[in-house]
Amino acid sequence: MTQENALKIFKSLSDMSRLRIIQSLTRGEMYTELIAERLGLTPSTVSFHMKKLEEAGLVVSRKEQYYTVYSLNRNVLEASLFDVAAAEPEQIDEQQKREIEYRQKVIDFFFEYGKLKAIPVQRKKKLICYEVIAERFVPGKVYSEKELNDIIAPIHEDYCTIRRDMIGEGILGRNGSEYVRLK
Amino acid sequence: MDAFIRYMTDQIEAGKAEIARLENDGCQDDADFAKVRTNIYEVCNTVTDALIRRPGAGTEAIRVQFERFHTTWGAALDSAREHNDTRNIVIGEIKLQALEDVTAHFAEAVK
Repeated sequence: MTQENALKIFKSLSDMSRLRIIQSLTRGEMYTELIAERLGLTPSTVSFHMKKLEEAGLVVSRKEQYYTVYSLNRNVLEASLFDVAAAEPEQIDEQQKREIEYRQKVIDFFFEYGKLKAIPVQRKKKLICYEVIAERFVPGKVYSEKELNDIIAPIHEDYCTIRRDMIGEGILGRNGSEYVRLK
Repeated sequence: MDAFIRYMTDQIEAGKAEIARLENDGCQDDADFAKVRTNIYEVCNTVTDALIRRPGAGTEAIRVQFERFHTTWGAALDSAREHNDTRNIVIGEIKLQALEDVTAHFAEAVK
């Protein structure tokens, strides 16, 4: 367990509703609707809390017909508080960590459900967004202009600008009417 | 219309009390959701207040504005559901629930 995981555990437990959910699950596995009924919450609110608990590794889920059944992840819950608190930070330097966080912040701000809300004005942010778009292309694979546009257009309506910019930034390479991902 | 304004004010006050209670109980996320709900009453109250004063606007303009909210927020909720975005599903449901409550009371007030 890393310090980052430990932080997720503490954060997700520092909410009374989630603590009550954990307490309910100590009696056995349960599905969303049942937890919602017992705790007087809406099913969607319970799903929200369950996602946080799942991300922290405190609960696990499985699909059973129409229901998602949740149970406690005893491996994590049975770890001592001492072990959790003693978790070491992930081996990643501060500068790299800041860059990853910044990149994620830009992505969260400019993308919504896979669509680019606006083309950033600032070059650094624009590059991050274009790198995300570039992930839709298989490196080395040759694309026709139509294929390229078909991939970019659902992400943002101004696919021509994005295509040109991505070539200009060296993310995509162009040879006549053929395109290839370079980065 | 006075009864409607009073209802809205009561909902805002009750919402604020609920937020304080949830924060006090350590339910921060639920308190944030209560803030969303209260904010819908505040927004609708502001819209009502502004349109009722505007010459030539009146109750029909308010009804149209509430309908616009319903369309926009409904689309946002559909999108959240489509992408299984749990946080925005909860927020979307709360917004629409509060709006439906507001429109029901508004319809009653202008009957």
